[in-house]
Amino acid sequence: MVDRHGTYVDEEKLTASVAGKVQRVDKLICVSPLKTRFNGEVGDVIVGRITEVQQKRWKVETNSRLDSVLLLSSVNLPGGELRRRSAEDELTMREYLQEGDLISAEVQSVFSDGALSLHTRSLKYGKLGQGVLVQLSPSLIKRQKTHFHNLPCGASIILGNNGFVWLYPTPAQQEEEAGGFYTSLEPVSLPDREVISRLRNCLLAMAAHKVLLYDTSVLYCYESSLQHQVKDILKPEVMEEIVLLTQQKLLEHES
Amino acid sequence: MKDTPLSNCERDFLLKAIEEKKRLDGRQTYDYRNIKITFGTDYGCCFVDLGKTRVMAQVSSELVAPKESRPNEGILFFNIELSPMASPAFEQGRQSELSVKLNRQLERCFRNSKCIDTESLCVVSGEKVWQIRVDVHTLNHDGNLMDAASIAAITALCHFRRPDVSIQGEEITLYTPEERDPIPLSIYHMPISVSFSFFQQGTYLLVDPIEREERVMDGLLMIAMNKHREICSIQSSGGIMLLKEQVLRCSKIASVKVSEITELISKALENDKKARKAGERCGFAESMPQDRITALKMDETPVEMKDVTEKAEDIVKKSEEPPQTYPLNTRWVGLLALELHELHVTKGPSLQWKSRPYALIRNMLRQSWGGGVCKSAMISPSNMVIVVNGEE
Repeated sequence: MVDRHGTYVDEEKLTASVAGKVQRVDKLICVSPLKTRFNGEVGDVIVGRITEVQQKRWKVETNSRLDSVLLLSSVNLPGGELRRRSAEDELTMREYLQEGDLISAEVQSVFSDGALSLHTRSLKYGKLGQGVLVQLSPSLIKRQKTHFHNLPCGASIILGNNGFVWLYPTPAQQEEEAGGFYTSLEPVSLPDREVISRLRNCLLAMAAHKVLLYDTSVLYCYESSLQHQVKDILKPEVMEEIVLLTQQKLLEHES
Repeated sequence: MKDTPLSNCERDFLLKAIEEKKRLDGRQTYDYRNIKITFGTDYGCCFVDLGKTRVMAQVSSELVAPKESRPNEGILFFNIELSPMASPAFEQGRQSELSVKLNRQLERCFRNSKCIDTESLCVVSGEKVWQIRVDVHTLNHDGNLMDAASIAAITALCHFRRPDVSIQGEEITLYTPEERDPIPLSIYHMPISVSFSFFQQGTYLLVDPIEREERVMDGLLMIAMNKHREICSIQSSGGIMLLKEQVLRCSKIASVKVSEITELISKALENDKKARKAGERCGFAESMPQDRITALKMDETPVEMKDVTEKAEDIVKKSEEPPQTYPLNTRWVGLLALELHELHVTKGPSLQWKSRPYALIRNMLRQSWGGGVCKSAMISPSNMVIVVNGEE
């Protein structure tokens, strides 16, 4: 049973069915849990992994209760958007996306059973190349206008609403005509790798202290961590120090 | 629910690490994880932690009619429950292949080895015997459920006390624990199972695999032995071909491990007996660690790091130089870190900021220099002093 409001009526009393934060809008009371599977809504950006290749669609694992679906008609094929999907396309599906590939996509619609239908019909979505995936709780990702950021510290980040965060080196030129299926296999330089490793450890530190993740908080955490070595960030004492500094900066920034 | 799939990168990394004799948690090839045994308040309830794998065994007894083929022997019943609490891949109520395998292995290990004297469980021949039921519940699955289950089962059986019975003619009197002390079962030996996982068609071997290692393994060999070096059962699954020498070597390793584990179990039982005699509070609630939600404690994992410094120096030598700090007189913009942070400097007319947005820096400088519009700033090599070329 998909309980979208997190509550139920028990002997005429409204009781929470999950442990989390209470949100009230007039007479509607919702409880949003802290640790949960991803409940997708239309328009969410996700980072997912292909688990199956089926007839005319792919099954994508997105940390939700059911595997999400990526239909063949919802992807950009080379040759333009208006091309009709032929039988040949079905047979060569595996050449585009295989089991184990990571993709970024957007939620197009939600099926009645709660499964998500995805699409990659924009040039910014598609198969992901070299980078690092960090798996966190979906409740830690803040909803923003855009989830694709080029951080000034030298790396780029995709904050998927489903809790999967993708860190990758900023591409040299913005490849707009690639169409999402071209993955660059050029070796990534050492300074870029260091930045990405540091960002990954910072994300883990913030997740351990339940700090809301968005581009500014990630950046502040990165800067607060610069005085430590990358591997030291994983120690509990250092984590606490860095997160305290980050929270201070965030408070100053808001006020 | 289907389990989250293992990515190709992770699989390759695990296999490569195993080829280099490295394990994710820093253990050696033949090392077991930390085993912790705790008992509940009732007799016959025991929790076993094998690293993060956690199982609970509960022994109970009941008077029943014996089997017709064996009228003067008691009945032993084993049951392993794979609950969804242990892993999202386990479904409640469904008999999966793994659950059948574990149940079968547990029965072979204990019943066929005759570790418990079933004749002593007989009360009235042909009419009433004790049925001893061992239920093993898996609470967390992080690999090697079989070993944890076997340790839990035998420890619970050793810990269990059955009610005392006396027969007077035709009457059977069952005493409650308050009337007469319950008596322990008569156990001949303690069979313990040791699991070996094989990788790359039997080339590499690991003892006590964790869940990740189990996912990439080719085959599994389970040897159940007791401390007297008697093999109680052997099972090989996964369809890999093993050489005779490999199996013999595994059995030698197993005998060493089994004697260590048997000692651990005996010590735990001793401690519990002493605690109960002394009247101390014992039970699950006492032995649980106080994990507060605000505490963040992590154990240190000993990882082999001998060759890392050479490799790191190698890489640093070959990589390109980090961006330099330039002296005065060059017209360019830099950022000063006010609190001893690292400095990022870039040169040139095209501003490539590697730190905070320009507007924020301008504001910062404006605040500290009292209102003048700063168009450029320079940094001395000591990174602590700004020289501002204010152009107002």
